[in-house]
Amino acid sequence: MKTKTFAPGDRVALQTKSKLWKGYVLESHDSEVILLKLESGYNIGIREGEILDAKVLEKAKPKEKKEVVLEKNTKLKNVVIIITGGTISSRLDPKSGGVIPTDAEDILNIAPEIKEICNVVKIDTPFMKFSEDMDPKDWRKLAETCEPYLNDESVDGIIITHGTDTLHYTSVALSFFIRDLNKPIAITYSQRSIDRASTDAALNLICSAEYATSDIAEIALIGHKNSDDKSCIAMPAKRVRKLHTSRRDAFKIVNDTPLAEITSGKIKILKTFNARSNKKPKLDTKFQEKVSLIKVHPGQDPSIIEYYEQQGYKGLILETTGLGQVPGKSSSTNWLPKIKKAIQNGMVICATAQTIYGRLNPNVYSSGRELQKTGIIFLEDMLSETALIKLGWVLGHKNWNPKEKMLENVSNRLDKK
Amino acid sequence: MEHDYKKIGLKIGLEIHQQLNTRKLFCDCPSILRNDEPEYTVERTLNPVVGETGEIDVAAAHEKMKNKTFIYQVYDTNCLVELDESPPGKINIDALKIVLQIAELFKCKIFPITQVMRKTVVDGTNTSGFQRTVLVAHDGYVETGEGKVGIETIALEEDSARKVSEDEKTKTFKLDRLGIPLVEITTKPEIYSPGQGKEVALKIGEVLRACNVKRGIGTIRQDVNISIKGSKRVEIKGFQDTKMMVKTIDTEISRQEECVENGECKNEVRGALPDGSSKFQRPMPGAARMYPETDVPLLKISRELINEVKKNLPKLVSEHKSYLSEFGLNDELVKLILKQGKVEDFKTLSKVIESPELIAKSLTLFQKEIARKEGKSLIEVNEILNAHVLEAILEEVGKKISKNDVRTVMQKVVRGEALDEAMEKSDVDLREEVEKLVREKPGLSTGAYMGLVMGKFKGKVSGKEVADVLGEVLF
Repeated sequence: MKTKTFAPGDRVALQTKSKLWKGYVLESHDSEVILLKLESGYNIGIREGEILDAKVLEKAKPKEKKEVVLEKNTKLKNVVIIITGGTISSRLDPKSGGVIPTDAEDILNIAPEIKEICNVVKIDTPFMKFSEDMDPKDWRKLAETCEPYLNDESVDGIIITHGTDTLHYTSVALSFFIRDLNKPIAITYSQRSIDRASTDAALNLICSAEYATSDIAEIALIGHKNSDDKSCIAMPAKRVRKLHTSRRDAFKIVNDTPLAEITSGKIKILKTFNARSNKKPKLDTKFQEKVSLIKVHPGQDPSIIEYYEQQGYKGLILETTGLGQVPGKSSSTNWLPKIKKAIQNGMVICATAQTIYGRLNPNVYSSGRELQKTGIIFLEDMLSETALIKLGWVLGHKNWNPKEKMLENVSNRLDKK
Repeated sequence: MEHDYKKIGLKIGLEIHQQLNTRKLFCDCPSILRNDEPEYTVERTLNPVVGETGEIDVAAAHEKMKNKTFIYQVYDTNCLVELDESPPGKINIDALKIVLQIAELFKCKIFPITQVMRKTVVDGTNTSGFQRTVLVAHDGYVETGEGKVGIETIALEEDSARKVSEDEKTKTFKLDRLGIPLVEITTKPEIYSPGQGKEVALKIGEVLRACNVKRGIGTIRQDVNISIKGSKRVEIKGFQDTKMMVKTIDTEISRQEECVENGECKNEVRGALPDGSSKFQRPMPGAARMYPETDVPLLKISRELINEVKKNLPKLVSEHKSYLSEFGLNDELVKLILKQGKVEDFKTLSKVIESPELIAKSLTLFQKEIARKEGKSLIEVNEILNAHVLEAILEEVGKKISKNDVRTVMQKVVRGEALDEAMEKSDVDLREEVEKLVREKPGLSTGAYMGLVMGKFKGKVSGKEVADVLGEVLF
C-alpha cells in the first residue's frame, strides 16, 4: 500500500469511494487507520482498506529548532530549571499528532512573567520520564543533577518540573539525599497539559520562580492552593501527598502547614524557615532498595511478610489501621507472631497510619499494645510514603541504628511537631 | 432594495447550532439552565497557547489576555468536568445517535472513524480554553424549490458557558450551559437568494424538530455567511428567528454593494439586529486552531449503530401531516396531534379501533377539556391517560362501552377511579344522558332535570349520583 511511505506531517491526497480527501498525516496508534488532519482543522480516520489511491502532495518539513537565547537581567536572580518529564514537560505537536518534550521556549511561552521574576540561566534535562516509571536511581540522578547548581554561587535557586503521580516520593528522597541545603528548590507540576490555555502550569511556574528567588533554603512542592488560578502554596517536601487524581490542587499538606503562600509578585512567609546560606551542600544518596510498603486490610494473610523476607527485604512499612492496629490474637489472621518473627530475624518493621491524617498512638487499645511488644517502630504522624523512603535511606547506612534514626529528626524540618 | 441576485453573484451559506435534549456531552450532568444562586464560584485565567507553527504571536496574545480574570458560577448540577478539573468522560451516546439521525435525514455520509477535537477558544466561554467538537458526517443535501443545497458537514460539539456580566478586569459565566450537546450543521455556499436561504433554514429546522432536540428561545442559533461578486465573505451571527432572514440578507447585500463601490471590503463577523440590519462585531477569525482531545479515544461509528439509527428514523412534520390527513382528520386535529407530539400514540391506537376522529380527540381535545374541568394540569392528565390506558378504554368500545362513553370514562379515570369501575355501564349512561338532556332542553332548573333523569333510570341510580353529575354538567 502506498500509505506505507507516509510520514507524520506529510500533506497527502487519499481517494476513497466517497470522496477525495486532502490533509496532513498524523501519528496513528492504530496501524490499520490513517489519521488525517483536514484543511478545516478536524481530524478523521480512514481505514487502509478503504483507500483506493494515495499520493503524497508534499513531504513534511523537518521542524527547525530555534535556539532560544536566554536573556539576562543583572538586577534579577538566576534560576536553573530541571525538567524530568510528566504532563508539565510534554506537549502535543498538532502537526504530527505526536507528543514532544517541552523546551525552554515552551516554558517561557507558558509563563512569560518568569522573565520578570528571574533569569532562567539554564534548562537541564537529566531524563524524561512519567513519574510512575521512576525509581530510586532516578531520585539519585536528580540529586546529582542539582548538586553542581547548589554549589554554583551564580545560581540562586532551582525549579524542578515533575510528573504528579509520584512527585511526593521524589520530594522526600531529595530532602534526605541533599544535606545542608543552601538555597531554595521548588518542585512543581501541572495537572492540565501545557498545550491548553487553561493549563495550571503557568501559575505553578510563576510561583515556583518566586519561591526559587526567595530566601527559603528548603525543598518545597509548589502548587495551586485551591481550584482558583489565584495563588500557590509552598508545601513542605516530606509532609505532602497527592490526594486527588485530577484537580489542580491535587497536592495537600498532611499534618503540617504551608511554608508560604505565593501569588505572582508576592510571597507571604507563613512560618519560620531555614534561610539561604553559604553552606556547602553534600549528597548522601546511599539507599537500600529492598524496602516496601504494605497496607494492612481486614482478612489479609500475614504470610506476605514471609514472602518479603524470602525475597531478601530488609525493611517494611506497615500502614496500620486507626491509631496503630493490625489484626490481632482474636482475629482469624493474627499478624503479631509473623511480625515478631521477622523483626527477630533482623527485618526492620515500622508502622504508619492508613488514615493518612493524624498521629499513631499504640497505647489506647490493647491490640496496639500487643503490636508494640513485637518490636515494631511506630512512626507517629509520618506519612507512609515519607516513611518508606526514610527507611530505605536509613537502611542504606550500615552503621546506623535504624530505630534511633527512624525516630530522629534527621532533616532540617522536624518530622514531629 | 430590489437585487438581481444572479447578476450580483450572491452566495449564501448557513451554519445552524441546535441544542440536543440529552445530558451533557462529556459528563453525566443534566442539561439544566439555572437562575438561582450558585453553590460557589471559581476564579481562573487563561494563558497564551504555544503556537503550532509560530504563526501566532504569543507575546501579543499574552498581552491581550493578561490581567483578565474569569469567574465561573458553579451549581450542584455541575461536576469537575465542566470545572476543567477532571478529564472528559465517554461521549454521550444518546447525543451521538440524535446527530446520526439528523445526518441520515439529510442523506449525509457518516465518518466511520473520527476524532474529538479541541477548538481553541480563549474568551473564557470554556473553562478548558477550548471547545470539544467532532465531525460526524459530510456531504448531504437539502431539497429546495430552487434546487439542492449541499450540507458540507455535521458536527457534534459542546455548548459554551453563559456570560453573566463583564467589566474591565473580569468576566463572569455560569457553568450550567457548558457542555450541553450541540449539533452544528454547515451548508455549502450554494444558496443563491435570501428566499432560498429562509427555505433551507426552515427545512433544517423541521428536521431538527423531528428529532430529540431542545425547544424554545436560545436553543437554536443560526449564522449566515454572505458574499457577492467582488466583496468578501461576511458572517452574520445570532438569528433567533428565520422571519428576519430575508430582510437581513437584503440589507447586507446593499451594504456589501457599497463596500464594493468604495473598494473597502473586509472579512468580518457582524451581529444581527432586530430591525434587519447588522452591527460589526469583530474581524473574521483565522482558520480554527484545532488539536486532538487526547483524553478520549478515537470515535468509531459502527455499521451496527448506523443501522440501528436508520431503523428508528423519526418522521418529519410534513410526512406526519400527510400521514394523518390520509385518515380524514380535519386540520385542527392534525395540528393538535403534531403540536402535542402524539403521532406515535395515534399510530398505536389506530390499530385498536377504526375510528380516527375518536382516537384523535381522545389524545387531544378530551384531555384538554378534562384537565380544565378537573382543575388539573394538562401534563398531569396526559400522564394519567397515557397510550396504555387509552388503549384499554378504546378496546372496550362496542363491548362494555359505546363511543359516546369514552370521554366520560377518561374523566373518571383522571378522578382516580379504576378502569373497570369507570367503565360500569350505568354510570356512563347516566352522564351521557344528563348531558344530552341539558343540550336538548336548556335552561331548566336543577330540580326539573333531576326529576327527568330519575324518571328515566327508574331506581337504577341514586339521587345523590344524579345530583353529582348534574352539578358537574350544569356548572
